[in-house]
Amino acid sequence: MDYDVCVIGAGPGGYVAAIRASQLGLKTVVVEREKLGGVCLNVGCIPSKAMISAAKFFDQSKNKSSAMGINIKEVSLDMPKLKSWKDSVSAKMSGGVSQLLKGNKVEVIKGDAEFTDSKSLKVGGKTITAKNFIVATGSRPTVLKGFEYDEEHVLSSTGALDLEKLPKKLVVVGGGYIGLEISSYLQKLGTEVVVLEASNELISGLCDKDITKLLERSVKKIGVKVQYKAFAKSWKKAGSQVVVTAEVDGKSEEFKADKILVTIGRKPNSDQLGLSKIGVEMDDHGFVRTDAKMRTNTPGIYCIGDIAGQPMLAHKASHEGVLTAEVIAGHNRVYDAKTVPAVIFTSPEIAYVGINEQEAKAKGLDYITGKFPFGANGKAVSLQQTDGFVKMIADKKTHVVLGVHIIGPEASNLISEAALALEMGATLEDIALTIHPHPTLGETMMECAEATLGHAIHVM
Amino acid sequence: MSTVELKLPDIGEGVTEGEMVSWLVKVGDQVEADQPVAEVMTDKATVEVPAPDAGTISKLVAKEGDMIPVGQVMLKMELGAETSGVAESKTEPEAKPAAKSAAPAAKTVNTSSGITPPVAKSDVLASPSTRRLAREMDVDINTVSGSGLAGRVTRDDLVGSSPSASSRPSSTQTKSVETFVPRAFTSLEDERVPLKGIRKKIAENMQMAKRIVPHFTLMDEANVTELVKMRSQAKEVGLRYGIKVTYLPFVMKALIATVREFPMFNASIDDDAAEIVYKKNFNIGFAADTPNGLMVPVIKNADQKSILEISAEITDLSNRARESKLKVEEMKGATITITNIGSVGGTYATPIINHPEVAIVGMYKMVKKPIFDDATEKFKTAHMMNYTVTADHRLIDGAVAANFLRSMFAKIENPAELLVGMI
Repeated sequence: MDYDVCVIGAGPGGYVAAIRASQLGLKTVVVEREKLGGVCLNVGCIPSKAMISAAKFFDQSKNKSSAMGINIKEVSLDMPKLKSWKDSVSAKMSGGVSQLLKGNKVEVIKGDAEFTDSKSLKVGGKTITAKNFIVATGSRPTVLKGFEYDEEHVLSSTGALDLEKLPKKLVVVGGGYIGLEISSYLQKLGTEVVVLEASNELISGLCDKDITKLLERSVKKIGVKVQYKAFAKSWKKAGSQVVVTAEVDGKSEEFKADKILVTIGRKPNSDQLGLSKIGVEMDDHGFVRTDAKMRTNTPGIYCIGDIAGQPMLAHKASHEGVLTAEVIAGHNRVYDAKTVPAVIFTSPEIAYVGINEQEAKAKGLDYITGKFPFGANGKAVSLQQTDGFVKMIADKKTHVVLGVHIIGPEASNLISEAALALEMGATLEDIALTIHPHPTLGETMMECAEATLGHAIHVM
Repeated sequence: MSTVELKLPDIGEGVTEGEMVSWLVKVGDQVEADQPVAEVMTDKATVEVPAPDAGTISKLVAKEGDMIPVGQVMLKMELGAETSGVAESKTEPEAKPAAKSAAPAAKTVNTSSGITPPVAKSDVLASPSTRRLAREMDVDINTVSGSGLAGRVTRDDLVGSSPSASSRPSSTQTKSVETFVPRAFTSLEDERVPLKGIRKKIAENMQMAKRIVPHFTLMDEANVTELVKMRSQAKEVGLRYGIKVTYLPFVMKALIATVREFPMFNASIDDDAAEIVYKKNFNIGFAADTPNGLMVPVIKNADQKSILEISAEITDLSNRARESKLKVEEMKGATITITNIGSVGGTYATPIINHPEVAIVGMYKMVKKPIFDDATEKFKTAHMMNYTVTADHRLIDGAVAANFLRSMFAKIENPAELLVGMI
């Protein structure tokens, strides 16, 4: 055997697993066919955050600074420069991963991989043998029939993040979180965006209804148009532009644009690597079946991250990466996290943990709930970002926190406290009695806990 | 058929929790109202908890070894009709595999098969590190009844519930060095037993006393020949009342008379207030050896009781201490303690003070010895008995303790002196 552990895929699941495995004294190699850091660092989380940060800056300079008495003349966008800055952010992070792997004595092999049997993997012309394999090959954008990605007219999220030129008009097929994040920042940068959403609500109804309602208003406020119950049927070129034909509420309608972005979800890369050839079992959606130790049905093959099931989130992959490396090293570990925080970088941001109100109702739980608006928070007012609220759901009898839902400024940073609360089994009182510093956005958590208990100070 | 829950009742002043020692019933048992169903140990007393009503035991919620707060459910029982001990129907719905793809909490994997201990259910209240500790201790956290708020499983709950010392992963095993081994010896595994109950309480108290109190012990020998005579007469009197009169009440009386002269022995130090508290009551604790360990029942207001009354009380308290039936109140409030290890053996010991008291008097085995009589220049036979006084040096100096012992000996060696001063 060449290695104790061979990790396939150097995304946020794979590289983390490899580092921990090596830290535990296992001889480890990681195989990557593209860039270190995977989708997350190169064509996902990180570059999109760079673009969102730039768009926010642009929007505030243009639309919000004058109210503060700051007059900025001629705010203009240099798209190629923005793109290269965004690329530099990704490159910096990917370079960091490279150093971390090196520093932790993890070998890196570049190339496409394919299993020959459950103990050996062909990479390029070479065959690697290992006692254990951790498959962390992630997912890719789902293809919509008739809208195959050419990354020129029909873009995937990868292509949209890499635009050299800002499109004047963009049709986005799919009002999920990826589509909305990109729509929001492109709209802020100056693109006219129309979103075609097949259902009658955004984010596939995964958020608490109160959040979805406010999100729909906020999206409209920045100028993004959303067509609900709209099914994209076909597209054709019309000069330098494209025309999308869609069935909206039963009627055929045409949408003219420069480009089309399709974000209807992501699909696990389980059809690659020859996984089915070596007998690895998958479910109907193509996710590899794993147990709580991330073991597949094939001894010695572990699966983590997007390929191992929902939710397809980088932080879940990293958590699984650490625990899998420890399982292989002989520690008794299982996936027993109570919640995976979800974060959506729309404007305003959305973040949540635990159950939402419609789930609490469906389960017939005896719960209490309360909300606290950012409008009543001094820091939010001074940031000019008062849209949004924190909402909590707790067990009526014990006050144990069951769910926290935030829409508003820095929701993504605020949610970690809620995640800790859920993991610790904290009560509303625990949050309310923790002194939160003033003046911060974090005070809204304390106030919301008080509101849920029925006695918030800063709201009637 | 209705279910009633038995909650740990309020078992004594200041008692907030008790340790579940043992169940006296099992699931399916028919019990009558007030029939004892469990033994719970608090502070130092073991109490029997009675069934609230007649019926059938349906579930034992608390586990042996658990610490149970007052008011926590210990067991569930069905009133009246029989249930033949069938496990109660599970009301909680099975966790459905996440219906709508990305519900964050639920993973769409079969998490149970081949994993020991099983994965914590989503409704188990325990912090991530506690869940990990349970796993490493090989404890199924789903079965641990948490002592914390809303049934939260704490670290302490786990430390008391490990079925065995956990086998550590291979990384901690050291490689054995190849050496010449002439002959194989059998090494037996050490037995590990949780430190709990009265033993744990004793351990805590002793450790605290030794940590706080600078002890010193003074030892001397008393001629108790006269006391022996007096006690043998008193014994006869006692028999008429059916009361066993031992030496202990006499020593108590001598001790009380001496303490009146040396009030710093019937005192305590209030560390927080930096004050000396002089006790105005004379509540004498006496150490009693029981199958469960050392217990210290208290004769309250011993100064106001006769030798006979004290004797009767000593017999009663000692008997109940051995049967673990003392009430918590009966072991509280001592102002000074006597330990009578002489009935077992040993010439001298260095006892540990029962904190926050400041002194403990030890009495040891009585022996007949030849004593040189200065008056007659001859040896004569005497009953001799060793005594020690152990004191808290923060409050009591060596010379004071020596004077104290001398004064006490004057009363023990000459009971007439004791008698004339007795109230």
